Formats: sequence, C-alpha cells, structure tokens
Amino acid sequence: MTTTAASPRPWYFNPGVIIVAGCLIAMVNFGMRSSFGLFTAPISEAHAWPREYFSFAMALQNLLWGLATPIAGAFADRYGAARVLMAGALLYAAGTVVIAMAETPTVLQLGGGVVVGIGIAASSFAIVMAAFGRMVPPEKRSWAFGIATAASSMGQFIFAPLAGALISAYGWYPALLILAATTLPIIIFAVPFMAQNTAGNKVPAGEIDISMRQAIAMAFGHRSYILLIAGFFVCGFHLSFILVHLPPYLADHGISKEFAGLALGAVGLFNVAGSYVSGIVGGKYGKRLPLSLIYLLRSIAIAAFVLIPLSTVSTLIFTAVIGLLWLSTVPLTMGLVTIMFGTRYMATLYGFVFVSHQVGAFLGVWLGGRLYDQFGSYDPVWWLAVALGLFAALVHLPIREAPAPRFVAAPA
Amino acid sequence: MTWPGHRLAAILFVSVVAAWIAVMAVLMRKAALPPEATGPMLVVFEPGTAEDRIFASIVSAGAKPVRATAFGFIWVVAGDAPGQAGRLTAQGALGAYAELPLSPTIAGCFALADAKVSAMISPGL
Repeated sequence: MTTTAASPRPWYFNPGVIIVAGCLIAMVNFGMRSSFGLFTAPISEAHAWPREYFSFAMALQNLLWGLATPIAGAFADRYGAARVLMAGALLYAAGTVVIAMAETPTVLQLGGGVVVGIGIAASSFAIVMAAFGRMVPPEKRSWAFGIATAASSMGQFIFAPLAGALISAYGWYPALLILAATTLPIIIFAVPFMAQNTAGNKVPAGEIDISMRQAIAMAFGHRSYILLIAGFFVCGFHLSFILVHLPPYLADHGISKEFAGLALGAVGLFNVAGSYVSGIVGGKYGKRLPLSLIYLLRSIAIAAFVLIPLSTVSTLIFTAVIGLLWLSTVPLTMGLVTIMFGTRYMATLYGFVFVSHQVGAFLGVWLGGRLYDQFGSYDPVWWLAVALGLFAALVHLPIREAPAPRFVAAPA
Repeated sequence: MTWPGHRLAAILFVSVVAAWIAVMAVLMRKAALPPEATGPMLVVFEPGTAEDRIFASIVSAGAKPVRATAFGFIWVVAGDAPGQAGRLTAQGALGAYAELPLSPTIAGCFALADAKVSAMISPGL
C-alpha cells in the first residue's frame, strides 16, 4: 500500500501574505491613477497640445474604469481574481507606456483613456475585496474590506508626491515609464490569490446554484440592492465634486492653491483612518446604519463648511472630517453586497454598484462646473451635495441587511 | 487558519510609510540642484529666518521671488542667470531643488528634510 502525503500549502497562501498582497495591489492601483493629473501640464506642453486632449483621456479613463468594473468582476467571479488582476496590471502598464509615447491625441486617448481605464478596473481594489470576501472568514471579512480600502487611500496619499518627485528628478517621460513599471509587481502580488482560483466553479455553502445572468437579474429585482446603488451614486458625486472643485472654491475665497493642496492631502491622510475604522465598525455593528450615518455626517459637515465663515482653520477641519468619511462607505457597501448575495458573484454585483458611483462622479465634476457657470457661485452645488447626502442617509435605512431571499439555498 | 488583525495592519502601514520616506529621500537628493543651475526652483532657508532676510537673500542672489509656501522659509523663485542655485546657497539658503509639480508646501517638507540631512552628512559643503 502506498500513501501519498498531502503537499504542503505554499507559504504565499498564508492569510497574512494574502492580506498584505491584496493591500499592496490596492495601494499601487489606486495610487498610480491619482498621479496622472501631474502629467497634464508637461505632456500638453511637450506636444504643444491644448490641455483638453489630456483631460479628455482622463475623463475617458474614469468612464472606462466604471464600465469595465462589472465586466472585470464577472471574469474574476468566473476564472478567479488572480488572472484578472495579472491581466489588469499588464494593461495598466501598457496603457501608461502608451501615454508616454503617444504622438497623437487619438493614441493618447486610446492608451491613457481606454487601455488604462480597463487596466485600472481589472486590477482594482474591488477585485481584491471580492477575493478577500471569498477567502476570509465572515467574522474577519469587514475588517479585510476596511484594510484594503485603507490601503487604496494610502496609495493615493503616497503616490502623488512620489510621481511629483520622479518628474522633478528625471523629467516627465522617464517618470511615466518608471510609474508604468511600478504596476507590474501587481502580477507578483496577485499570486497568493491563486488560492481561490477555482472558486468560480463552486457553489459556496448556503448559496443556491444559479448562473451569473440569473444572479444579475435577481439582484436587480431586489429592492435593497437598488437602494444601495442609489446611495453609492451620492458617494461618487461628493468625492469628485470636492476633489475637483474645492481648490477653485477656496481660491474664490482668497485661500491659496498651495493651501488647497495641503487640504486635499489632509483628506487623503484622514481617509486611511476612516476607511480602516469603517471596516471594523461594519464587522461589529452592522453596515446599514453606519452607512446611513456616514452620509448624514457628510451633509452636516458640508452644510457647516458653507455656513461658517471660510478660513484656513475651517478648511482643515472640514477636510479632516470629510477625509474620515471619504472612502469609509466602501467596506460597508461591499459588505452589504456580500450579505445580500453571498460571495460567488460579489465582484460582478459590486461592479454594478460601482458603475452608479462613477456616474455620480461624472455628474459631480460636470454639474459642479455647469452650475458654477450658471450661478457664478459654488453655493448651489454645495447645497445640492447636502441634499443628496440626506437622500443617501434616508435610502440606506430601508435596506435589509440580510441574505436576499432567492439567493439562499433551502436547508438540506 | 489564523487570520491576522490590527497588528498586521499597523506593521504594513508603518513599513509602507518608511519605504515611501526612503524613496522620497533618494528622489529629493536627485532633485537637488547643482550650484550652476538656474530657472524656477524651490529654495529652502533655515526655519525661523525672518521673511525680509529671506527676501533680501533671494534678491541679492539675482533671483526673483515668485511665491512663499505655507512655511515662510520655503520659497519658489525664478531667474535665468547661470549659477543661481549656488548664489542662493551662498546667501544662506540650505538648498535649492527642481520645482516639484505638486504643492510646494508638501515638496518643501521633503526639501527641508533633505537639506538638513545633507548638511549633517557634509557640513563643509
């Protein structure tokens, strides 16, 4: 009789390694995209292009990022997160190289807009969190979503100065190529996620055996999912409006561009803490009420910021508070998707929620400018943001924080 | 399987920040300008130096003050005469750096750290 010893589990399937690898992916993915804005001026000047060309490529990138997220999620659910993350990293790097080498606006927009946009979606923290959702036990899941979101926030905080220093030290062209190369380690960081690569073919315990198409149709027929989508739209609106329009709003009130940069840095720093704590809170106290509270607090913070006479102190307090509430919605939203529909199709179903976020983000940027032009002031947009925050706080209240009835398998 | 917790989070984030500071230090050294450099640059003075003293140093070095940062001892200056960086250092600046395409205040923090470390390592220079 021969006995076969079970092969030892590779060290990189260790839980700690999986969490660290996922966080590094989230950090690089989110950090890189936040540094592209620094290249607007040097690339436009080098080619004697109007800034509109680069801006359009970045707008396209955001759109593609949103639209490709559910598709990348579907691939991750079907074939496992690792392969999708690796393919995403390659696209991200290739698109960034194309930005550096583009000689025409069309090539710039295809590379920086389409290819990078799809690459960001496929190597994003949404894919990482979906993998965490499958691999991490339920009692640790919310914490894992929190740490991945906090890592993304940290990436945003550290990559912008890094890209700036690279441009300063080497020039924009080598800087862009170096940054393209920094996305490639995502391929190595994705290896630990091979541990769950067959998950797409298995039905997790307690979940029913349905196709992805059926899951999507059933999710869109679930009222709580629709409410969650509506709420996340507001998150996108708030974030993009504040990110893009806060500096000119401050400038209108005599606060310098330098200070605006510092204030946005404070958002990034407090965002790390807020995202992490939100994951912990979601694990201990549920997700629905904290989510509702976050939107309510955003409305209160924005209203106070507009009503209190503007100063550098009030700006710093506002950006610290809004930073704490910035991406703290993500672990809770992801957590609700997991509770409602289980882990099998969570990347796809979170992807659709994220599309709504990106539509909100688009409108936040566009309406911010449009309404400013119409009224000559940002005040109407700030009050719209307050109203939307209250709307989001209310729409989360009726959400049922429980498995969607048709997604639960009947007891055997 | 035992899943990690807050300790891992703390170690991860502290390690990332430490690595980031190390990389930024290397890049700031690279961004430090040689004495013959000219053009727009970030100039770091000793913290606590009076604004009129800084202004006088910049003008004496043949540079044009563009704007101060949130820290009054870090200035963005311009000029086109060769040797501007060296003259600024001779006038008391701790160091001159290529202008970073981000908030000069944040860039200035790193520049100050670099200038201080650089002065400690090679005090005679």
